[in-house]
Amino acid sequence: MAPAQRCPLCRQTFFCGRGHVYSRKHQRQLKEALERLLPQVEAARKAIRAAQVERYVPEHERCCWCVCCGCEVREHLSHGNLTVLYGGLLEHLASPEHKKATNKFWWENKAEVQMKEKFLVTPQDYVRFKKSMVKGLDSYEEKEDEVIKEGLVSWKMIFPDGPRQGMAVPDPEEGSSAPRSWKGMNSQVASSSQQPSNLDLPAAPELDWMEIGPSLTFIGHQDIPGVGNIHSGATPPWMIQDEYIGGNQEIGPSYEEFLKEKEKQKLKKLPPDRVGANFDHSSRTSAGWLPSFGRVWNNGRRWQSRHQFKTEAAAMKQSHTEKS
Amino acid sequence: MSFLLPKLTSKKEVDQAIKSTAEKVLVLRFGRDEDPVCLQLDDILSKTSSDLSKMAAIYLVDVDQTPVYTQYFDISYIPSTIFFFNGQHMKVDYGSPDHTKFVGSFKTKQDFLDLIEVIYRGAMRGKLIVQSPIDPKNIPKYDLLYQDI
Repeated sequence: MAPAQRCPLCRQTFFCGRGHVYSRKHQRQLKEALERLLPQVEAARKAIRAAQVERYVPEHERCCWCVCCGCEVREHLSHGNLTVLYGGLLEHLASPEHKKATNKFWWENKAEVQMKEKFLVTPQDYVRFKKSMVKGLDSYEEKEDEVIKEGLVSWKMIFPDGPRQGMAVPDPEEGSSAPRSWKGMNSQVASSSQQPSNLDLPAAPELDWMEIGPSLTFIGHQDIPGVGNIHSGATPPWMIQDEYIGGNQEIGPSYEEFLKEKEKQKLKKLPPDRVGANFDHSSRTSAGWLPSFGRVWNNGRRWQSRHQFKTEAAAMKQSHTEKS
Repeated sequence: MSFLLPKLTSKKEVDQAIKSTAEKVLVLRFGRDEDPVCLQLDDILSKTSSDLSKMAAIYLVDVDQTPVYTQYFDISYIPSTIFFFNGQHMKVDYGSPDHTKFVGSFKTKQDFLDLIEVIYRGAMRGKLIVQSPIDPKNIPKYDLLYQDI
């Protein structure tokens, strides 16, 4: 009997030694695994010719399991806002480690030799893919530009006088900045393209059709020339240092307070039903204060002993004054 | 040896000591510094005070300077040692007639240490009176003076 060996494809332990790979069960498992992987690889191959660039969607985080290497591979390559479809998978298929692993896998599992070629991507193919990726990015950018222009046209139609105070900029503007940063273009180009759209922005009179329902109280335009506001990036009022803060400017408890807090923590750990747990150590007592003392000749409870003492003392004093 | 232990000379100071000692046994020795038995007791107290620093605070009180307390605590023999915890008086049953104070000196340092430990444990568990661990043979004998007789 051969020693126990584990076949990762069948996910089983067997004792047949080298004979297991020729068994029907194993070959069936092999076929199924390759069939699972094949469609992804085929789709990736198609993408070599015509790379597609899409806007990023969380679905693009999906990973594919490569049977040959026994590892998870990111299917699509994403950067910022955009994704190149099947970029990750192609990169993996073209890598030399994958080639070695595929060869090993084919030899060990005794799979069909013709099939092997389908799962490999040559480096030349990968270069071709990269070229088509660049082309794809360009075309994506052109598409985005067109969308922006359309958006601006419709914007100008709605607001012939320019946007009102506090209006949000429409979304296509944001999308356009991403491919520009991707290509590493000059930021000057980006800002100059945005300026023409902002040229006609005088302080707008109120448009009647904007006020629907109960009218809001207008409290005045809040732009003071010279002093910045949140939009211009001025320092917030709470960050401005006051002219004088009493004492030191440290925030939080001082060292003594910290020590006191530590003492209090220790106190909490003591048993709560100990003697005098609720004794107020810092209370001010009068000169005539006496502690609670269970006197020797006292009849009754402890707290009465003080009372008894005081009455006795008064009685003694009286008898003294009487005598004298 | 009495110069090693802190002394309290007025009622106000005694009050202060009683109120401010927190979570430790307060030991007040009432007596006179020159008295021979007091000297013996003071010796034992000072030698053990550093070992007991986390459990107990020890003070010496002169009976002539605090007449109020001498009467209130009914101190007829000196030295008398009275124990407090968190402002509460702790009674100990020594096998002698007076449970409110320890009269006389201790025979050994270990007796005093054991006594303090017992008082501390009892106080932590909420007991106002505890049983003394000292062998009754070592407790000084005295006659309790009856009041008004």
